[in-house]
Amino acid sequence: MDSVFDELYEKYHHDVFQFLFYMVRNREQAEDLVQEVYIRVFKSYDRFEGKSSEKTWLFSIARNVAIDYFRKQKGWKERILEKFDWSDNQVKDDYPIPEEIAVKREEIQWMYKCLQYCTVDQRAVIILRFIQDLSIAETAQALGWTESKVKTTQHRSLKVLKRQMETFYEKEGKTGEKVRVER
Amino acid sequence: MRKSEWSDEELIQLLKQMPKIEDNRHPRDIYQNIPQRKRKSIQWVFPSIAAIAALFLFFILVPKFMDGNQHSTDKAADRESAQTGEVKKEASQKSTADKREMTSVASEAERTAIYADEIGNGQVLTYWIPDEQAEFLVPVSNIVTETQGKTWVELFNEKASELKEPEWGLTDYYPLNASVNIDQQKNVVLVDVPYGHQYGQGSANERLFINSLKKDVASNSTIKQIELSTGGNTGIEFGNTGIEDQLTVSNDKNRAFFFYYPQGSEQPFIVPYDDTPYNDVQSAFGAMMGDPPKTNLQKSILPSFGIENVASEGKTLIISFKSNAALEDNQQTLLSLEAILLTAKDFGFDKVSVSNPPVSTIGPFDLTKAIDVPVAPNKRDF
Repeated sequence: MDSVFDELYEKYHHDVFQFLFYMVRNREQAEDLVQEVYIRVFKSYDRFEGKSSEKTWLFSIARNVAIDYFRKQKGWKERILEKFDWSDNQVKDDYPIPEEIAVKREEIQWMYKCLQYCTVDQRAVIILRFIQDLSIAETAQALGWTESKVKTTQHRSLKVLKRQMETFYEKEGKTGEKVRVER
Repeated sequence: MRKSEWSDEELIQLLKQMPKIEDNRHPRDIYQNIPQRKRKSIQWVFPSIAAIAALFLFFILVPKFMDGNQHSTDKAADRESAQTGEVKKEASQKSTADKREMTSVASEAERTAIYADEIGNGQVLTYWIPDEQAEFLVPVSNIVTETQGKTWVELFNEKASELKEPEWGLTDYYPLNASVNIDQQKNVVLVDVPYGHQYGQGSANERLFINSLKKDVASNSTIKQIELSTGGNTGIEFGNTGIEDQLTVSNDKNRAFFFYYPQGSEQPFIVPYDDTPYNDVQSAFGAMMGDPPKTNLQKSILPSFGIENVASEGKTLIISFKSNAALEDNQQTLLSLEAILLTAKDFGFDKVSVSNPPVSTIGPFDLTKAIDVPVAPNKRDF
């Protein structure tokens, strides 16, 4: 096997896979996309300048792959229909909760569902910052943003998550407790 | 631990507890799948290259075929075995025939062979010259009026340099790179080639050289033997047949004559096809009406000629035409008639007569009387 592939696989494969998994929230899709990441990596590996670390470089490629995937998923037909269809504005979650999540406690499952309410950029920041444990600077590098943009996006996405978590609590956690909604 | 309120810190803690997700596939499988996906992007390349190549060929070939329709001498169009090809060929032949008929309206139809009445005291010389593709030999004749008592070999050598083969659309072949003489006592023709001659190289060269010598001698004299030498030493070495000391001249007989139109020429040569002799005149005429035996030859009797029957009476060949035969007095008909006369001569006839002539004359020939066969075919000035 290719030595470059071996090295990249050894060091980063699971990180990249996990990132894509939480981005698209589907195992099969993540498997396909990680393949695409390798193709792009091999195409441009000799152009990799080492300005950023290999890890952030891989994450930036993975993010682009994910964005392309979301774009492709929406064909032109859907995009046009979407404009005329006001009734169906809720985000649909067609995929069942994966096994790894289902065995966890309720809050984790909620959190997993809440991720779908974030935008693609917000989700990327959340995954990189908290699930992958990257620093603000590393996240900024991987996304090609400034650090302050990372910070504001992070702040906004936490707000979205908070609101959604509370909605879940209201829906499912009706145990008679009084709910105090903080705005 | 259900909560209705979440601080940022709590949310972050929760996120950090999200389970680690791993790719369960073996790295080898992942690696093997990569090149396959790569190939996907190249898929369109080969079909598009093929398409471009096909278009390219199309544009190259189409003008060729169009061209082939205009010149019936173009082999590409002629050698189509398919039905459409046949039809095309038929059409092209007809169109050229029509063209010739058009031109012949203005000019009086002229005979192309040499006949006894025009020789006088002259000497008839016939050279056998390879066609442009060097596939067969074309006899070209003329009458030399100022013989000054020279023998035919002297005249043959003398006039060889005056032949205009390229102008006639034939291969430039004469004068031969050889000296040709006669041994009067032994009654043989002596042919001497220099060392380093080209005639032994390749079977085509060799065949053309031997055949042209035999036919030159047969057409111009009654000598039956040719002795070969190289630089004065007996024998000529040929690549395929080895060393030949002498050639025996045999008079070709029972051949059918076809038209050969050199590239861009309106006037055909009338050429004998001698690979297989025919059993009788009928089958020879049949061959001349049907598909020619060689690519570059064309049928010499047009369908309109309508020969009903042929019979022989001593040395006279009697032809009867069908009642609906549409003969016209033009150059094309005259050429067909001459092909018939030459073929009749090859089968040993002296005269040809027509029992029921549809027209009284064709060119200078009076069909109501018996016609003498020609002395030599294809008169050209040299």
